[in-house]
Amino acid sequence: MEPYVISNGLVALIVLAVLGIVRFVRRDRLWREALGELWRRRRGSVLVIALFVLVGLLDSIAWKGGESVGDDLLSSHESRTVIDRLFQGAGESSYSAPLASEAFYGGDALVSPGSHWLGTDLLGRDVLHRTLKGVRVALLIGGLTSAIAIPLALLFGIGAGYLGGRFDDFVFFVMSTLSSIPSLLLLIALIMALGRGTWQICLALGLTSWVSLCRVSRGETLKLRELDYVQAARALGVSHARVIVRHILPNLMHLVVITLVLLFSQLVLSETILAYLGIGVSGSWGEMINQARNELSREPIIWWNITAAAVAMFSLLLAVNYVGDALRDILDPRTMRETT
Amino acid sequence: MRRAIAARCAGFWLTGLLALATGCGNNPYAEADPAVKIRFSPFATPHRTLDPAEAYNVTAHEVTGLVYDTLLEYHYLKRPYTLIPGLAKAVPEAEALGDGRVRYRFEIREGIGFGPDPCFGDDWAGASPRIAVASDFAFQLMRLADPALKVQVRDPFSRIEGFEAFHDALVAARAADPAFADQPPLAQYQAAGGIRGVRVDGDHALEVTLSEPYPQILYWFAMEFTTPVAHEAVAYYDGEGQRERYADHLVGTGPYQVIEYDKRSRIVLERNPNWYGIEQPDAPGAHYPTEGAPGDAEAGLLDAAYVGRPLPFIDRIEMRLDKESIPVFNKFLQGYYDAAGIIKESFDQVVQNDTLSPEMAARGITLRKALSPGLFYLAFNMEDSVVGAKGGERARKLRQAMSLAVDAERWIQIFLNGRGIPAQSPIPPVISGSPEGYENPYRRVDLARARLLLAEAGYADGIDPATGKPLRLTFDTYEVGSGGALDREYFIDEWRKLGVDVDLQVTTYNEFQAKVERLAYQVYLWGWSADYPDPENFLFLLTCDMRRSTNGGPNSSNFCDPEYDRLFDKMEILAAGEERDAVIRKMVAIVENERPWIELYNGVGYSLAHDWLRNVKPFGMSYPMSKYMDVDARVRAERRAEWNKPVVWPAWVLAGVFVVAVVPGIRTFFRERQ
Amino acid sequence: MLAYVLRRLLYGGAVVLGVLGVLFVLFFQVATPDDIARRALGDKARTDAIEQWKVNHGYDRPLWPWQDFDDNLFFHHYSTMLSFDFGRSDVDDAPIMRRVREGAVPSLILTVPIFTLSLVLTVLLGLFVAFFRETYIDTAGVFFCVLAMSVSILLYIIGGQYLIGKLLRWFPISGFDSDPAVVLRFLALPVLIGLLSGVGSNVRFYRTVFVEETSRDYVRTARAKGAGEWRVMVHHVLSNSLIPILTQIVLAIPFLFTGSLLLESFFGIPGLGSLMVDAINQNDFATMRVMVFVFSLLFVVGQIATDISYAAVDPRVRLE
Repeated sequence: MEPYVISNGLVALIVLAVLGIVRFVRRDRLWREALGELWRRRRGSVLVIALFVLVGLLDSIAWKGGESVGDDLLSSHESRTVIDRLFQGAGESSYSAPLASEAFYGGDALVSPGSHWLGTDLLGRDVLHRTLKGVRVALLIGGLTSAIAIPLALLFGIGAGYLGGRFDDFVFFVMSTLSSIPSLLLLIALIMALGRGTWQICLALGLTSWVSLCRVSRGETLKLRELDYVQAARALGVSHARVIVRHILPNLMHLVVITLVLLFSQLVLSETILAYLGIGVSGSWGEMINQARNELSREPIIWWNITAAAVAMFSLLLAVNYVGDALRDILDPRTMRETT
Repeated sequence: MRRAIAARCAGFWLTGLLALATGCGNNPYAEADPAVKIRFSPFATPHRTLDPAEAYNVTAHEVTGLVYDTLLEYHYLKRPYTLIPGLAKAVPEAEALGDGRVRYRFEIREGIGFGPDPCFGDDWAGASPRIAVASDFAFQLMRLADPALKVQVRDPFSRIEGFEAFHDALVAARAADPAFADQPPLAQYQAAGGIRGVRVDGDHALEVTLSEPYPQILYWFAMEFTTPVAHEAVAYYDGEGQRERYADHLVGTGPYQVIEYDKRSRIVLERNPNWYGIEQPDAPGAHYPTEGAPGDAEAGLLDAAYVGRPLPFIDRIEMRLDKESIPVFNKFLQGYYDAAGIIKESFDQVVQNDTLSPEMAARGITLRKALSPGLFYLAFNMEDSVVGAKGGERARKLRQAMSLAVDAERWIQIFLNGRGIPAQSPIPPVISGSPEGYENPYRRVDLARARLLLAEAGYADGIDPATGKPLRLTFDTYEVGSGGALDREYFIDEWRKLGVDVDLQVTTYNEFQAKVERLAYQVYLWGWSADYPDPENFLFLLTCDMRRSTNGGPNSSNFCDPEYDRLFDKMEILAAGEERDAVIRKMVAIVENERPWIELYNGVGYSLAHDWLRNVKPFGMSYPMSKYMDVDARVRAERRAEWNKPVVWPAWVLAGVFVVAVVPGIRTFFRERQ
Repeated sequence: MLAYVLRRLLYGGAVVLGVLGVLFVLFFQVATPDDIARRALGDKARTDAIEQWKVNHGYDRPLWPWQDFDDNLFFHHYSTMLSFDFGRSDVDDAPIMRRVREGAVPSLILTVPIFTLSLVLTVLLGLFVAFFRETYIDTAGVFFCVLAMSVSILLYIIGGQYLIGKLLRWFPISGFDSDPAVVLRFLALPVLIGLLSGVGSNVRFYRTVFVEETSRDYVRTARAKGAGEWRVMVHHVLSNSLIPILTQIVLAIPFLFTGSLLLESFFGIPGLGSLMVDAINQNDFATMRVMVFVFSLLFVVGQIATDISYAAVDPRVRLE
């Protein structure tokens, strides 16, 4: 199966999942109130995130066919996403400023004057197009890594907290070991060993970032295990699996959500460092910044490339961090106790 | 040890704070005595090795070239490049021995002193220096054959009679007796019998016999590979205990000696008090040349203040590790480096209409241009079944089509700001003997013809009939510094116009080399810079003997053509002239049709220097010519002070904004509290 | 107390052994000695040269104890690392121990001031913002913290070099010198950037700690007794927040290092961070192994030190 088919399938899955979550939230009073509170406090940030997610999804829906772009014969044989199809104009030959009608150097007329809202880069590619494509990469880094880290963390965290004994000792030892290795170094070592590529990098990021969630969920499970109703359920002969699924897991979800949101910005920031070291994900904002960093020394200065990537990354992270902050306030029971 | 570090740290900060209190500024050096002439320059990466037998790249030669001098040298000013005697008394003539063998006899100067070094015994700093004699030259030639050293240029020297036999004898002796390798190198070499074709005749004559004519050998005697090496130094610096490795500790007979070597931070060189030129200023390599190329006098390169004066002029050379190109260039503009290349980011600031911008000229900066004897090319792996020789006529047409799609002119404009000329043949035009006026019919852009050729090859519109999808090739490359691989993505876009889907695979340099070794590559970008100014140094890159796949040579395109090889053998021993030129044209024609390479560009070096650096002439090949240059430290100090006044007002503005933002809040806060 | 210290030390030792195990799997099982040799020797290496290189670097043993119990890389790896016999670089044969010792000084010269200045500055700012809680200073302060956290350190460095080094000419753009009279000029800019990149998350953290502490009963009591607001802040709140601050300090140690990885590389400071970057760029696995080990060791030692000081402060911890 070709990658673009998988990508389309994933989009469908994500949309279905989102609908499912919406349905669940509408039924569950606690979550409904919490998210209502979030919406009241951080409406702007939530909208910004929604916009980014929309762009990311649009950039994941692809199909083949259509006119070829300029004299690029190959483009008609390749799958292109919705976002790609919005930028059908042929590339320029090199730099042009935002909305310019002539090339930055030499002043030749552009192929499509005035249509590059954020200008073009060294190779004449539309900067807005590249920036928007970076959204999907950032979301992919966050999403894929979470998809690896969260199940791992929950499995070991709940297992250790619930079962205790030798398994708990083992998990605790693994956690102390991994958290003793500075995460960036472990990350680099993992990537050097696993090889380069989006999947490998996300796997490495996942392996380095599951520990914190694991520690939190272990602690929380330890507490939950001792609660009366869990003890009562056990006494009534409910199986371990059922206790975990019915009573433990739902009570950990708020921690998962908070960790996920806070983890996201860290992942994207880590990726920029990896991009500088030449082991980043291709097409990311980190790569754009790394490629553009020398352009600041050009005279006259080329600012739009680095600015576009930096502003895009910054606004996403700012929104995510802001939402994460609010979520923590709303969902974390300890602070909830103090505010009420 | 920890306490020592803590104490040093504290000491650092105390002295440092005092220094900062007395004067802030961006000067990256400590205050220096203005009477000492210092040259400041950057180096980009820590050197892996500075052993003259192993070091083989431009940045290493910038250090080794100053410390290790050679029997022959290049004339600083004359073009085309001309050899002059260095440590030898004269440039030797080839003497035919009748049976195809040739002999060169070098008469060696007297009083060639090694720089003072503890390896020369207790009296090393005393009045009588260690003098280099013929056996020290022979010792280094034997080192070149030593399998324990990573020598990359063994091939040209293997034409010396008995060179390979000596190599094999060393291998055998070490294999037979493990204790053999524990002896000092000189003892090992003597036990292995030495090289038959290298004869030491007293202290001041060296005879080198070649098993076949090879006129280019003289150029190799102008490279640091053939410098005299003291066997005591190699034996002493073995990397054991506190002693460094010889590759990190330079002991040579050149005009300078290394007095500080911290490969991850700085290298400092000072005059070698034992240099032969001090006693023999009349030697051609020991004084500033009295004549030059046309135009040199107008360019101020034959200033009466320098002509005929003893070298070197500069007392001290300070090199700093500076990995990123932008800081290097900015420090040059601030006056902290004396010379610099132009980085593409600043090109438009520096050069306008192909001359120096008025702003730069007003600062006293000068621009020099020189065609460099180097070539960059896209190469196909001829061992590959799709693009290579195994693909037959089809693959040839594919290569021809791909060659016709690559616009080198625009590439040079975008990535080099026009600092290059589109290459036509394997030989850069600056090398005498390159085919003059030659235009390669496959090196112009002709998409229509390219698509036609592609269709003839069976890939109409780039579709591979075997899969029904666009033909997929891989372009292997490695990360070169920062900024990613945009310059190589360019070619991908060019080939997309043919409908060919080339996948760019960026790996590390080492992974790339591993791929080359496994023959798992199809297209790559490569470059070659001349070792010496002769067409042979480029044409040999395509001979069967040099194939990477079978012989581990530098022909990593693995091109092999019997006719080409026959012509090469003929060309190699011909003297420069019409007959040789004709042979070269035939070879170029074969390359033109076969297209193992897509010739991309020959660089034009633009170099900048401040006017306080005197006698600068771009040399093109990798030989540091610092001994001919001079600096005016007084002018430099004045300019630095003038250019680097800090701009302080933003600090006050920032502080002001903070106060204005915070004070009202504090006031309301307290008012409410009350 | 002694029993607790002993137990903690033993556990720390076990964690170090675990770290070494992770390193072994990463560096020997996934990237094999053959692979390392090929990367180190480059393009022209022949098989005999690779074998010779492996012998010279001690890589010619079998990997695991069950292959050869007396002579294997697994035990060799543990014994050399634990005896601090780090061997030689894969790339240029230089003794790694010497490299680490040489690199430690410039690194400490850079990180110690960042560390101390940042601690003082962020605690003060945290106190300041917490003091003015629920005013616009607090809101703006938190906003700027989140703002500062959302910017990549890469951008801080690029912007700092451009603005302060090039346009304003306050400090050299990059470089380093072992001469104390000059070095401060070089350090000013990286230290400033190091401070800036950590200020957001730290201030926000300390603010949360302080605000939480101010809502406790004893603070109310102190206020009721008529203690001034500053006195309450410094005497009661700050001293009762010492444990979270201490924890944060230990947690910051590895982050300090990851920051200096980029800082050292950009500013040409020949410390451990740029040694690591060089090792990554040159595929020098021996050096990378040692660096990861050394930093993990430092981290474990730091953790043990914190735990023991906790126990000294709070007897309940010992019983856990």
